[in-house]
Amino acid sequence: MNIGKQFKEGMITNNPVLVQLLGMCSTMAITTSFFNGLGMGVAVIIILTLSNVLISAMRKIIPDKIRIAMFIVVIAGFVTCVDLLLQAFVPALSESLGVFIPLIVVNCIILGRAEAFSYKNGIAASFFDGIFQGVGYTVVLVIMCVIRELLGSGTFGGGLLNGGQGIRIIPEQFGVKIMTLPVGGFLVLGVLIAVMQWALARPKKKEEKN
Amino acid sequence: MSTETKTKEKIDLDPKYIIKLTVTLFATCLVVAFCLGLVNGVTLPNITASNLAKTNAALAKVYPEIDEANFVATEIEVSDDVAAAASAYSATVTNVYAITDGGAEAGYAVKLDVSGSQSTISMMVGLDTEGAVTGVSVVKSGETSGIGTKVTVDNAPLPSGVPVLDQFIGKTAADQPLKVGGNVDAISGATVSSKGVTNGVNGAIAAFAAIG
Repeated sequence: MNIGKQFKEGMITNNPVLVQLLGMCSTMAITTSFFNGLGMGVAVIIILTLSNVLISAMRKIIPDKIRIAMFIVVIAGFVTCVDLLLQAFVPALSESLGVFIPLIVVNCIILGRAEAFSYKNGIAASFFDGIFQGVGYTVVLVIMCVIRELLGSGTFGGGLLNGGQGIRIIPEQFGVKIMTLPVGGFLVLGVLIAVMQWALARPKKKEEKN
Repeated sequence: MSTETKTKEKIDLDPKYIIKLTVTLFATCLVVAFCLGLVNGVTLPNITASNLAKTNAALAKVYPEIDEANFVATEIEVSDDVAAAASAYSATVTNVYAITDGGAEAGYAVKLDVSGSQSTISMMVGLDTEGAVTGVSVVKSGETSGIGTKVTVDNAPLPSGVPVLDQFIGKTAADQPLKVGGNVDAISGATVSSKGVTNGVNGAIAAFAAIG
């Protein structure tokens, strides 16, 4: 087990959104304001870590043929629990995250990590994998939120700072509305993926030249 | 090669293996269901209380002109006529409240479920004694964040400057049927959510006629 390597994989070399290209749907849909991105990211970190640990603990007794069905049952169980607990004890948070939480069941990052990592690795490694992959996902979401919110509505920190309005940086009439629509999500994500691929390919090119 | 495939198929169809798969999956589902039952038992009282608080807040919101101290809402039974009247606009009436303002009748509030773009929108419509809409408020919804929520959560202003849910204030049976693109404006990009809310208001006005 190598925590440093796992951290680097989750954040950069095997980033769930930019390299594995998982969880595109939620990435596109919710990255319109700062708070949305952060909220979805935190919810995914919690559920990904829990489901990774449980699936890793159960990996010896899960028959190979029905593993996907078992993963989904476990993940859906966790998501429902978290949803109910939030509704009961933190209604304010549940109100703002309410839409995203049921969506996590179908977030393919969680199923993807169960299949690719926790089904084959130990509990501790799966725990850190859950955290790092979750953080990698959250960081990308927040970057996309900041870009789309700044260009689209001209604000920063919407839903969280300045009473939910966000801090205005660009005057309202100069906002590029297309950035807040799904089209803007595709554009920003495409550019981010291109930048990531360029950054990852750079060291290789240097080696080739030498 | 062919014999190998055959042997493999034979193992796959081994009844013991199939039973093992079924039992494992069934047992896991049972355990998960049991855990969910426990969590539900713990959280249900709190969730019921918070839903009640939301309903009361929505009731107060759709009668902005009535002073909170004099405001009394009494739940009354939803008759078949009321349910049928609202269902003509694909809305389901869940609760009806008789509203009084310091003892005087002030109309009826109707709580209905309508279908939005992602899930059911639960909304409250206040009507005065004449059957004119006094206010519309969304109690619970699950619309797409940043698109449908412009209608259900933000109550975003229309190009005319009027918040989208406030455009229904003052509408009566004479204005029916309210229709998006006709006498109702939708938030662009959130047409389905706007249509759902419009159905709810139509349903509430129709329900009022059935009550009164």
